[in-house]
Amino acid sequence: MNTLAEQFSTTSALSKLKKTQALLEDEEMSDAMWGSQAGFGNVAQGSPSFAVPAVPDPSAFLRLHTDDRADPNCKIKIQHGTTTLAFRYQGGVIVAVDSRATAGSYVASGTVKKVIEINPYLLGTMAGGAADCQYWETYLGMHCRLHELRNRERISVSAASKYLSNLVYSYKGMGLSMGTMICGWDKTGPAIFYVDSDGTRLKGDLFSVGSGSTFAYGVLDQGYHWDMTDEDAQELGRRSIYAAGHRDAFSGNTCNLYHVKEDGWRFIGNYDLSKLHYDGPNNVPGAGYGYDIRIAGRASALQPAVAAAA
Amino acid sequence: MARRYDSRTTIFSPEGRLYQIEYAMEAISHAGTVIGVLATDGVVLAAEKKVTGKLLDLSSSKEGGYGGSGEKIFLLNANVIGGVAGLTADANSLVNYARTAAQRHLLSYNEDIPVELLAQRLCDLKQGYTQFGGLRPFGVSLLYAGYDPHYQFQLYHSDPSGNYSGWKATCIGANIGTAQSLLKQEYKDDITVKEAISLVLKTMSKTMDSPTLGSEKLEFAVLMLDPKTKQPRAKIYKPAEIDALLLAEGLMKKDEDTEMKGV
Amino acid sequence: MEVSFALTGKDYVIVAADTTAARSIVKMKTDQDKIKILSPHLLMAYSGEPGDTLQFAEYVERNIRLYQIRNLYALSPSAAASWIRRSLAESLRSRNSYAVNLLVGGFDTTTQEPHLYWIDYLGTMTEIPFGAHGYGSYFALSLLDRYHDPDASLEEGLATLKRCIDEVSKRLVVSPDRYKVKVVDKDGVREVEL
Repeated sequence: MNTLAEQFSTTSALSKLKKTQALLEDEEMSDAMWGSQAGFGNVAQGSPSFAVPAVPDPSAFLRLHTDDRADPNCKIKIQHGTTTLAFRYQGGVIVAVDSRATAGSYVASGTVKKVIEINPYLLGTMAGGAADCQYWETYLGMHCRLHELRNRERISVSAASKYLSNLVYSYKGMGLSMGTMICGWDKTGPAIFYVDSDGTRLKGDLFSVGSGSTFAYGVLDQGYHWDMTDEDAQELGRRSIYAAGHRDAFSGNTCNLYHVKEDGWRFIGNYDLSKLHYDGPNNVPGAGYGYDIRIAGRASALQPAVAAAA
Repeated sequence: MARRYDSRTTIFSPEGRLYQIEYAMEAISHAGTVIGVLATDGVVLAAEKKVTGKLLDLSSSKEGGYGGSGEKIFLLNANVIGGVAGLTADANSLVNYARTAAQRHLLSYNEDIPVELLAQRLCDLKQGYTQFGGLRPFGVSLLYAGYDPHYQFQLYHSDPSGNYSGWKATCIGANIGTAQSLLKQEYKDDITVKEAISLVLKTMSKTMDSPTLGSEKLEFAVLMLDPKTKQPRAKIYKPAEIDALLLAEGLMKKDEDTEMKGV
Repeated sequence: MEVSFALTGKDYVIVAADTTAARSIVKMKTDQDKIKILSPHLLMAYSGEPGDTLQFAEYVERNIRLYQIRNLYALSPSAAASWIRRSLAESLRSRNSYAVNLLVGGFDTTTQEPHLYWIDYLGTMTEIPFGAHGYGSYFALSLLDRYHDPDASLEEGLATLKRCIDEVSKRLVVSPDRYKVKVVDKDGVREVEL
């Protein structure tokens, strides 16, 4: 940074001349020079630098080792299928996710934790590369804590999500794959930000991410309104994840449900989607979410009795 | 006592002074005078040349050249002329820097550099030499006469410390006390370029050491708007034009006049 | 399917952009503002690669603000557009480039003239009386060739913009349903409802 100071730190005439010429040629003086940072040398470096894998082309390297469609024996299996959702309403934020991890057509795990507990007031969801989400959201947690220590107050959801978004943006085009929702409660109340590895960052009331998101949206959008009760909200989250788990082959197994309120997040429960299908959340046979269960005893035929007689 | 704090530009003396900067300003106060006057429809700049003599080869500057006769008044950009007082070699370096800065602005913004911004660019450089050790500051003061659409016609002054300020009329170099009090007396806010030219020349004739006034000792420039295009246009006078102007203003000494014709 | 339009008229520039943020086939958001107010008399509509758009727009926004703080006056629309174009062109020749298309509209307070610039992600810049980016341009450009009037009042200008939006709604397969419209004139920038 300190080109000018450096220029004058050597005394040999030749190097002095060379450096002076460099100064005259290239300068639109590195702006920090003249500002408050002047004289602090490398202590106050502008933007943080970041590490890149020691290979010539990181994204080609990553593709080579992660493309399981082209090579089923590839070294790294990226988790592709997922359904995650979060929405904001009168009573806080509901976060609901499935728990299936797939590698190609193989269900690698049915007990994945796709909600990352960043700190007692912040949750992140996981879609795309599991490792990318886990690593960077944990890293985000570290910086949220440092923010707390430095500023004597909790980081806002907006700031935390912006930090993550700027971070992943700096790796754009190098193979990161994340689609996440940063959810929490701050001075402004409940908040949700959608952040993905393209660098997109959106504030909103309702998001769903992953291969099952369209199915989740179908139930979520229709059942959503701002003034719902806590019970209704939790039920809507659960039911939307069930719907996606039912229709999307890459989502399923169980649903993890979280509720964020003014005093931080609370884990509501883990629900087996098969049980939700038949018995619903309260284990009542016949009270399941499944279509067949829900319509049992009902039919579209005009006169079932006549049909039976014939 | 002072000796101990002279050697390094970046060390304060116990009285809180930077001697090298003050010495640089002292060097300037012996240099040829440069006077600038801001008028309603333009800016006028005149400079006293110190390097003269019968044996000096002026053939290259006879026609004025692209950037004037090239000792004290320079075209810095299409919209700015600069007058320098101090070490000529340092001035050349700064003029080159200013021209480069102006071109860089043109490259980035596709417009002429605003006059104050150009002054700031040079002052940033000059200030750097008051803070980072090892080299001496530039022994140069400048007057910038320019035009931009934001503040129309402007006149700025900058000194070796990197300070700059805007003026209606000012001067740098030798005898500035006399010149400044003259300008203060004679200046009025609605002055036109025509009047400003007279004022500058009159002041110059009273300030210069030698009793003679002629193109071999004077550089002269005016910045106005082109009546057709409404764009700023600098006119740096050629020696013959300066002599003609002096004659018209009645300031040309008769004997010098004949001598000039002989050259 | 991002769509943005802009047109000049008598002493004003209108800039309009759709408000959808989409990812693959899903609308993630339908009230996203894609027009930045860069200075008291300057607007910029941006579209293109997700992520790049906002990062570049914020970069521009802050640099233009910085210029204003340093020099106490704002850049003229032409100077600002030239700077933006150069930033984009320089980024194009770096390892990571911004893939962003822009419409920059402003009112030059020194000459009292409205100006509109069309800039694409390759760094092409041209000053135009009207323009568009995205699929909307295939419908709107011919329409504006037919109906644009450089002398039109603001009401007439907004009516012409309405024609563009209606045409896109009618003919484009997946057309945006909401737009944000901003106007810049001698009094500064403001949002208008259609």
